[in-house]
Parts: sequence; C-alpha cells; structure tokens
Amino acid sequence: MEDGEGEMIPATPMLPREEKIISIHGLRFTYEGGVVALRDINLDISSGEYLAIVGGNGSGKTTLAKNINGLLRPTSGEVVVGGRSLSGRTVADIARTIGYAFQNPDHQLFCSTVEEEVRFGPANLGYPEGEIVKKVRRAIEAMNLESHRKTPPLSMRLGERRRVSIASVIAMDPEVLILDEPTTGLDAQESSELLAKLRRLNEEGKTIILITHDMKLVAEHAKRVVVMSQGRVLLDSDPRGAFSDPELLRQSNLEPPPVALLAHKLSELGIPKDVISPEELVFQIMRERGGP
Amino acid sequence: MAGFVDLYTEADTFLHRMDPRVKIFAVLLLSLLALVLSNLYYLLILLAFIFLLLFLARATFSHTMFALKFVLRFMALIIILWPIFDPSGTPMLASLGPIKITEPAIWRGFTSAARVGCLATVWYILMFTTSQRDLVRALVKMGLRFDFGLTLAISLRFLPTFSALIDSIKDAQRARGLELSKGGLLKISRNYVAILVPTIVAALRTADALSLALQSRAYGARADRTYLRDLKMRVSDGIALGVLVAAFVLPVLAKYAFNVKL
Repeated sequence: MEDGEGEMIPATPMLPREEKIISIHGLRFTYEGGVVALRDINLDISSGEYLAIVGGNGSGKTTLAKNINGLLRPTSGEVVVGGRSLSGRTVADIARTIGYAFQNPDHQLFCSTVEEEVRFGPANLGYPEGEIVKKVRRAIEAMNLESHRKTPPLSMRLGERRRVSIASVIAMDPEVLILDEPTTGLDAQESSELLAKLRRLNEEGKTIILITHDMKLVAEHAKRVVVMSQGRVLLDSDPRGAFSDPELLRQSNLEPPPVALLAHKLSELGIPKDVISPEELVFQIMRERGGP
Repeated sequence: MAGFVDLYTEADTFLHRMDPRVKIFAVLLLSLLALVLSNLYYLLILLAFIFLLLFLARATFSHTMFALKFVLRFMALIIILWPIFDPSGTPMLASLGPIKITEPAIWRGFTSAARVGCLATVWYILMFTTSQRDLVRALVKMGLRFDFGLTLAISLRFLPTFSALIDSIKDAQRARGLELSKGGLLKISRNYVAILVPTIVAALRTADALSLALQSRAYGARADRTYLRDLKMRVSDGIALGVLVAAFVLPVLAKYAFNVKL
C-alpha cells in the first residue's frame, strides 16, 4: 500500500522516509463491556508523514489513536513507537514522542494564563527551566498566540482555545502530533489558518496524524489517508486513491468531497475519477474541451 | 461505568410493564418481609421467589452477577465473620482463646446473609425493570414535588455523563505528561487541580445550557402541570398488588397473631 507514496513530494527532505516512527502489528482492542473496537490493525507510519485517519463515528479511529499514545493498551498485538514497544512504558514517557490534542480543548485548559497552560506539559516532562522557556516560546509562536501570553485561556474564543490546547501539546516537543477533529466548531477562516500552521509544522519535520471525518480537509492537506470502518483499516493510500472509490467511503459512512463526486459524475466525459481539487477539475475540463 | 449507574435494561415482561408505584410498594413489602422472617428456610424460600421474579424479568446471569458483585462479597463476609464474633449458643464446635465457634452462630450467619441477599436482589429487580424516568414519575405521582422529581431525574441522568467527562479530562491531562499518583500528598492534591478545574468549568457550562433548554421549553410556565404520560393502575397491576399484599400479610399474621415460628 505504501507504493502510492512514491509519486508524492517527500514532506521532510531532512528525514529519511523509511524511518518508522510508529509501527503497529496485529493490534486488537476490546473495551471492558466486550465491544470490539479494533480488529487486527497493521500500520507503519514514517517520520515526517502527514496522515489522516478517517472513518464514521464509532469506526475506531480515536481508539486507535489512544492505543498509539498509551492511554489505552492493546488487548493483543503490539504498538512500537520510536523503535521501542509501548508495553511497560508510562503515558508520560510516551508523551515525549507522541503529542495528543484532544477534540475538546476545554478538557485540558485549566491555568490562569496561556503561558502557564503551555508550560504545563514540558514542566511535567521535567525539562530544565531554560529548555522549557525555549519550547514554550516556540509553541506559542507556532500557534500565533504571542499577543495572548497573559490572557486566561477560558475567556478566549473556541478557535483560540483550540490553538492554546494544540500549543500546549507542541510545547512538549513531540515528534508526532495527533489531532482529534481539530476543526470541529471552527469557521472556515479559523480552520484554514489552523491547517496552514499544521502544514508548517509538518514541513519542519513533525509527523502529523489528523483524525477527522471532514473529507475536504483530507483532500487538501493529508498526503496519506487511512480509511477505517468497524475497527478495520479499509484502505490505506494517498487521497487520490481514497476518493476514486466512493463506494468504499460510503461503507465507512463517509462522503467524498464534492469536487471528487462531481469528477465521478463527469467521468463519462473523460474526466479522470481521481480529481481531488477544484483547480485540477477546472484544468481537466479545459483540457477535455480543447484548451482555453 | 454507565451500566453501574443505571441498571435498567429494556425488555417487555410483565414486571417491566407493571405500574412503577406497585413495584415500589411491592419492593417495600418484600423488604419488610425479609426483615420479619428469621428462619433460614423461609428466607431461602423468599430468596427463591425473588430469583423466580428475576428470571421472569429476563435478567441474564452475567448482568445480575455484575450488579450484585459487591453484595455477594458482603454476604460471604457475614457468613465468615458472624460465627467469630457471636459466641452465644451451644453446641460449641471449636474455640481459640476468647473466640468460640458455635453451631447456632454459624446458622445465624447464614440467615443474615440470606436476608441481605433478599434485600439486595429485590431492590435490584426494581432498578432492573424500571427506568429512572418511571421511578421519578411514580414518586411525583405519590406526592413528591415535581421540581424535586425533575432535579432527581436530571442528577441521575448526568451521573454517567460526568463520569465519562472526568475520564476524558484525565486522559487529556495524562497525554500532557501528568502523573496523577506520583509525588507526595501535596503534589498529588496539586495534580488534581488539573482535573478539577476543567470538570467544574464543564459542569457550569452544562448547567447553564440545561437551564436555557428548560426555559426554551417553557418550564414553569404554569403552576398546574399537565402530563403527557399519566400512570394508570390496570387490572393486572391490581392482581399483582393483591398477591404481594397476601404474601406479606399472611406470614406476618401467622408470626405475630398466631405465634407461628417463622
């Protein structure tokens, strides 16, 4: 399945592509009440990837993410992060490598200023003071919160609170950043600003894992898509491959982005089925009609 | 977690359909009966009767065992501890210093355990077959002020929600490297601030949203409430009530009026 990556521009030229930051073998997870949430997941994620895990509600995407950062432990199978198995490692230890921003920022904000909030993570991990100050400054800059240093996070708007919560995870300087539905409740402008910031982090070498069911977001930003349904990985490819099969997405309770659906409807006219951006669709239609 | 807060399980048995007022009354009578009976055999008959009801309510074994886990441990504890602390009666079976194990004390241990079993199971049936809404409806119908009933219903409804919320907040802070049980007493209590503040904020937000939702549905618009669903006694409810009253009154009469040893 990784063959599809060859034709894409490598996200981080500084890092060798084959370095596996996360490796999941035969992961199964069953909740206490007996609900099987993950069935036999195998997944390798390389350093510097921009990956989207998509799927309908209850498809297991959040459960998978929580197994990667140790909040949940596999019923069977193994998760390897940074070359070391997670079993026996504490969540705090794993947090040095895997940062996890929860869906609802209000579940983590509790300090009286943004600066204190962002400090909390690196301080927990026991970095020396000079290092903490540096990491906090960098995280606040990455999320454009310089003017809000002394603002109480709880008095900020949702989009800003989400940026604070992401900054508080970035400050721990993890190699991998997992974001659970980061655009829920944000307007179009706030969303695209946030995603531009995530893209910059990815270009700087961070591995980004986006958990979402917003297909437009995936089409525009992710370089690899893992489609999940009923605790299984249905498909693992680049966004082009993922959207060329609407039937498969429907199985996972997902709707392809409108532009991909339109391309499908137009495929009889010779438009390729794997178009994922409006610009590309316009280009293909122009070409079909014999140029502008 | 949610299963522990609300034991109610949807089903369509005569116990599920029974008027909740009759059920509350029946549970009170059967509980009193368990306290009145002091003979192990009669208590076991009562326990068998209660388990028959449980079976008729289609309670699965695993569900019941899960709900009664703590009660079963408590019963085992009574059976073990009673003979150790009750030295009265003869014949004495064993003794070690001040501790005397006597045969009647062992039986008394079993009797008390059976009584606790009856009490727990009979209340379990009520919770298992009656939704919280119906319980509150019955209490209001029996004279509880409606706003108290509503408060009770809302608190019951939000218990599992808040338990899930606290779990999620704990996870979110652990993902930021918080180790709740690490450090001295002062450090541990300071750690919990990171859990407590988001929980309180979320609770206040929920309460605010809830009061708006109530107002937008005209809560308190008129003093004399009308009800969409009214509780009505049916013939079957009357029969059930009659049977239960007989099951309570006959043994009690036999014991106290005719001095039958029960």
